[in-house]
Amino acid sequence: MISLVLALSLAQYTPQEAQSLFVEGNDAYYKGELGTAKERYEKLLHAGLGGPDVLFNLGTTHLAAGELGPAILFLERAHRLADDDDIGANLAVARQRQVDQVVGEEASVPFTQRLADATDERVVGGAFLVAWWLGFVLFWLTWRREPGARVGLGLVTALFLLVGTGLGATLAVHAWVRSTVVEAIVMPHAAAVREYPGDSAKVSFEVHAGLKVRIMETSGRYARVRLPNALEGWTEKEGLVSL
Amino acid sequence: MQADREKVGTEDTFRLEIVVANAPEGAVVQLPAAEDFEVLGRSQSTQMSYSLGPGGAGVITQVQKHTLTMRANRTGTLTIPPAAVQTAAKLYKTRPVVIEVVRGRLSPERAKRGQPPTNPFGFPPGFPGFGGLDDQDDPLGGEPRLDEPTVPRGDSDLFLRMSLDKSEAYVGEQVMVTIHLYSRVDLSSVDSVTMPKLDGFLSQDFKTPNQLMSEQRVIGGVPYREYLLRQKAVFPLKAGTVTIEAPEADITTGIFYAGRRVHRRGNELKLVVRALPPGPATTAVGRWRLSREVSQTEVALGEPVQVKLVLQGRGNLQGVQLPPLGAPAAFKVFDPETSDKPSTSKSHVGGTRTIEYTLVPQQTGTFVLPALTVPSFDPETRKYDELRVDEITLKVNPGAGGASVGPNPTVPMGLDGPKNQLIAGGLKSLRHTAHFRPPASSLTAQRWFLPLALAPLGLTVLMGAFLFARGALGAETPESLKKKQARAARKRLAAGEKLLKTGSTADFYAEIERALTSFMSAKLGTPVTGLVRADLVTKLTEAGVAEAERVRIVAVLETCDLGRYAPGMGEFGARRKALSDAAAAMEGWS
Repeated sequence: MISLVLALSLAQYTPQEAQSLFVEGNDAYYKGELGTAKERYEKLLHAGLGGPDVLFNLGTTHLAAGELGPAILFLERAHRLADDDDIGANLAVARQRQVDQVVGEEASVPFTQRLADATDERVVGGAFLVAWWLGFVLFWLTWRREPGARVGLGLVTALFLLVGTGLGATLAVHAWVRSTVVEAIVMPHAAAVREYPGDSAKVSFEVHAGLKVRIMETSGRYARVRLPNALEGWTEKEGLVSL
Repeated sequence: MQADREKVGTEDTFRLEIVVANAPEGAVVQLPAAEDFEVLGRSQSTQMSYSLGPGGAGVITQVQKHTLTMRANRTGTLTIPPAAVQTAAKLYKTRPVVIEVVRGRLSPERAKRGQPPTNPFGFPPGFPGFGGLDDQDDPLGGEPRLDEPTVPRGDSDLFLRMSLDKSEAYVGEQVMVTIHLYSRVDLSSVDSVTMPKLDGFLSQDFKTPNQLMSEQRVIGGVPYREYLLRQKAVFPLKAGTVTIEAPEADITTGIFYAGRRVHRRGNELKLVVRALPPGPATTAVGRWRLSREVSQTEVALGEPVQVKLVLQGRGNLQGVQLPPLGAPAAFKVFDPETSDKPSTSKSHVGGTRTIEYTLVPQQTGTFVLPALTVPSFDPETRKYDELRVDEITLKVNPGAGGASVGPNPTVPMGLDGPKNQLIAGGLKSLRHTAHFRPPASSLTAQRWFLPLALAPLGLTVLMGAFLFARGALGAETPESLKKKQARAARKRLAAGEKLLKTGSTADFYAEIERALTSFMSAKLGTPVTGLVRADLVTKLTEAGVAEAERVRIVAVLETCDLGRYAPGMGEFGARRKALSDAAAAMEGWS
């Protein structure tokens, strides 16, 4: 809440102004003025006033305009913030319109990534701090007690510290996945994927707007990307926008 | 002898006139033969006149006029050698004529060396050399015609010429390509005509005559018969300068069986194609009209509606792309039927495109066929325009059988008639209110997170270190020693508590006594083990222990002695009391 108030003050938009900008975007969309609609939503994003609602509307507007790359980018971002039926439905429509179809077995997702996907980092972080501090406070209390009266409190202390350690480890997994697993969306209508980073390298295959890829490493103007079926190659970084 | 110009271009023709008056019988006129000039045409006329001479005698004057249509073969100051008349007695010569020749074609210039002679013989109009209607049209006698063909060198009797009706055009604008055959010889037939490759153009036949029809045409003063072979309307597809290759034709000359087959190649042409001026993107270049009609505006559910979109006008009909109908989703739209009917006017091609849509309403309600707009560009006015048809409102009624909402939209129209199909799909609608959220940042990336997470661990380590330091480095004062011993005694009492329920009676009371003794030794600073009761009381008194505490301590010691031997002291209640008394004695002294 504090950060939202801060964002609103920095953006110089009162909550009413922000809401009215949002409604203007919606009106433009329904009039078919998709460019104006996009501009309004983007103003909100640039002012730090994002959220799943703004991202959903912006993604849907891009989808209506037939711009698959940005459509999937913003809908994916909205999906990460809120697991919502509408977001999922429009994202499915966008993926259906994608040119690329990834054929073959999808590479198995590592346990750490699945764990990070399955848990909410903020919830885990909050729970960790509570369990950790409580565990130590109980530890100090147990320490001060007479030897004969420590057993019960000691067990509770151990439980809290154990839970805190587990949550801390999950949090560490989140941090690791965030720093090593970078997903991106292909923006241009078509982008060549080459065998090695260089303009003279042979083109292995092409990817098209809206495809989600994983960035494995970068070299100069190029990034090595991996598709869900483990197909890899180098493409220009400027055609990718990370999620 | 005189020429009608002093200065000509290599592409120009000029006339040389040699007039011979009263030539004697048998005189031979020798026309000038110059290698630097090509003679494109010759004509000869004779004029006789009768007049009364001095003395009333009649005089007959005979004038022969030879007219040569010529063209220079090279540039420079060239001389036409003199003409001559050879009689039996003498050779008469004219003066040579000097002509300055430059490259190309000069702007038209009227003859400077006198006007052509009037028509003294009353020849019908059109007879060359003596003025009249044809001479007024003659490009040499006035402003040249823009499509004036150039007579080729060599094959001047029979040549092929291709022309365009304009030298510059916009992308998509109509340009007429015409191929003519010019002849001064008899033609039997034109066997084949090879049109140039029209890459970069869309083309449409305009005129393809089946029979050879000629028109009289004077080119550079030379009469030709002009035959139209082909005429095509072409539409350039991209901007730039386009070269159109030369056409070719096989022609049979002569009449009946004396014919000879010749091959002729025409001229190449260049066309400058300009991009359309800045404006909306359009494929409709020309003059067009757009209209739309529907068979009915109120219809029952499931009944078809015909929508006809008609584009009519002139231009490249094939190249025009019309936008889709944009029918509402409530209508099933069948593939439209498109028919093109090309047409030609005097100088333009065009036609009518009709697109017929069949719509079948799947839902009841009022729906709007949206307006259609197509930007167009008129090359004649060089302006953009907009072809537009207005929106049409269609009302769909349930029909006689009524409508019901079908739970399963995949169910076909059944016995109950068409259903009002409510089908899910399409994009989910926008959010109408927003809950703004600043960009999410990771909790672990917050600056305060790590210190907050490590703080309890650090505090514990610090506390432990402090206690360890105090224990290890701090001086052992008598007072602290006493406290330490007292704590040890209390621990021992705690050990006695463990024996409260399960331990043997003797062990329990021995433990209580040892705890109390240790406590007293710690408090008094001297061992008290082995002291008789009296000595113990004395020491307690000396240490300032209150009377009541002394009595309590002695009582506990007595209980312990008694507990080891007396029956009934092993019971839980007795043990509990002893333990409580010992603890109370210790706490009371503390």
